[in-house]
Amino acid sequence: MSVHESVLHALDERGHGAYVESFDPQDDHMVLNMGPVHPATHGVLRLLLELDGEIVVRCEPVIGYLHTGIEKECEDNNWRGAVTCVTRMDYLSQLFNEQAYCMAVEELLGIEVPPRGKWIRTMMVELNRLQSHLVWFGTQGLDMGAISAMFYGFREREVITDFFEMTTGYRMNNSWFVPGGTWDDLPEGWERAVRSIVRMMPARLDEYENLLSTNPIFLERTRGVGAISQEDALKIGSSGPIARATGIDWDLRRDMPYEAYGELDFEVPLRSDGDVYARYEVRMDEMRQSVRLVEQLLDGMPGGDHKNMDPKLTPPPRAELNRSMEAVIHHFKLMTQGFTVPPGEAYVAVESSRGELGAYVVSDGGTAPYRVHVRDPSFVNVQAIPVMAERGLVADLIATIASVDPVMGGVDR
Amino acid sequence: MASQWVAAAEWPEKVASLTREGWWLADLCALDTIGLNGGAEDNDPSKRFEVVTQWLHRERKERVTIHVPAEGDPPSVPSIIETWPEATFMEREAYDLMGIVFDGHEGLARLLMPENWEGHPLRKDYGVGKIPIQWIPQPVMQVDAPGQAPDSISAGHQVDRLGQSPVDREEAGAP
Repeated sequence: MSVHESVLHALDERGHGAYVESFDPQDDHMVLNMGPVHPATHGVLRLLLELDGEIVVRCEPVIGYLHTGIEKECEDNNWRGAVTCVTRMDYLSQLFNEQAYCMAVEELLGIEVPPRGKWIRTMMVELNRLQSHLVWFGTQGLDMGAISAMFYGFREREVITDFFEMTTGYRMNNSWFVPGGTWDDLPEGWERAVRSIVRMMPARLDEYENLLSTNPIFLERTRGVGAISQEDALKIGSSGPIARATGIDWDLRRDMPYEAYGELDFEVPLRSDGDVYARYEVRMDEMRQSVRLVEQLLDGMPGGDHKNMDPKLTPPPRAELNRSMEAVIHHFKLMTQGFTVPPGEAYVAVESSRGELGAYVVSDGGTAPYRVHVRDPSFVNVQAIPVMAERGLVADLIATIASVDPVMGGVDR
Repeated sequence: MASQWVAAAEWPEKVASLTREGWWLADLCALDTIGLNGGAEDNDPSKRFEVVTQWLHRERKERVTIHVPAEGDPPSVPSIIETWPEATFMEREAYDLMGIVFDGHEGLARLLMPENWEGHPLRKDYGVGKIPIQWIPQPVMQVDAPGQAPDSISAGHQVDRLGQSPVDREEAGAP
């Protein structure tokens, strides 16, 4: 028995023989499991990597670790109650989920939201876009070693989150939009709070850009890293900042205006490199545009009702319950059953902070949604990670994931 | 927004022509039409399901919804991931949650639910609270009474969630 054979025999006895037999010294690829619990995968994203040394040969996202069955949950709630479910999908852009869902229900109902309702909703989602991009800014910096970016990003996010708490009562998962408008009017003193955010943000954004935009380490790690071509971005379904960083000039807010966007003046930032740095620049510019939008919305906020006051849709004000029997009946019907929606289907998409967020809602004429499906931009954008990561370094993959900015609550729903 | 119905056999051709015209696939999901106005009336799986796709034309600024009824048992539709790699996750999700098989989709596997999960949760006869949590590694399946549909659909329909008839289950000694 040769030495080699005796080693094999010993290994066989321990059950390792098959491994040694299959060992091919020419093939030095390694399979590495990154996640689901990993500080750089933004939640519970798991990536199966095939590595040739430090080079990523193949990358496969594995999702489903945060699957909560929200689409099914919506079917067991009434039309109003489903808002509290959809808001928990993409938890960093909660109001966009609500907006898309409510607009789809409004399309089925065939109702109009009063101007003030539209403007309030637009202002809230633009603040939400700022809030969401600030988290992205913090995590993008953090993943590349710039820990101060995390502190700066979350410092400003806190101000916006406080404003949401003041307005809606919740810091996250607001469930404040309702089919027909918003649940409540803006609270007293909102102008001052929003004005202070609008005044603060441009200076803060300058500060961020000073911190990262010309930082040589940051440039080394983002320029030409994780690039995706325009053609690939279209095929893989990317939307939002990822698509705009490759030069796809498309923004639902400008090109198919909804809510108050038709009356507002703003620009759509565009880059053509398609790499991490281009996505960084697009998001930074988007934040500036959001501040500009919020300022216009603040100055031009119309008066009137903040929601559609159709008694079949909206509970009457408390004071009316003491005077009117009809009000009591409407209130009782709405609180026990909820309103009904005519049969049909509607797909409405909004431009969320991550791309096209669409809600497909089907009604069978009852008081609960028959089917709610949300096209979440993160769900589609996660598929772009393998394209971006191919033939890159593992360290670049971290930068790429951060720049895609996936929210696993939205990916898994 | 316009809705169109396209037969499964004509689906790949339709997708090719839409792509040529410059339409962009925005979304793909599955729909269980049982009990829906104009939808299936019984739980025959070959007539119940539809694949619903949303398309966007960026130059014309138009949207269109296209329904593809899934026929057969298990219900199946040709896959479109050759043309639209974007649909890979969407088709896997539709298979996972609604049990629609996409012909030609390599590696069509569960996406969100665990690999050894039984049943397709978004189907209308998969009632919330009616089916116990499946603790892995030993999935446990129980319905209140064999052959009794969960009450989300009108009573009298047979439960076919496991691909078993009630008789099969009794023979297998299930409660």
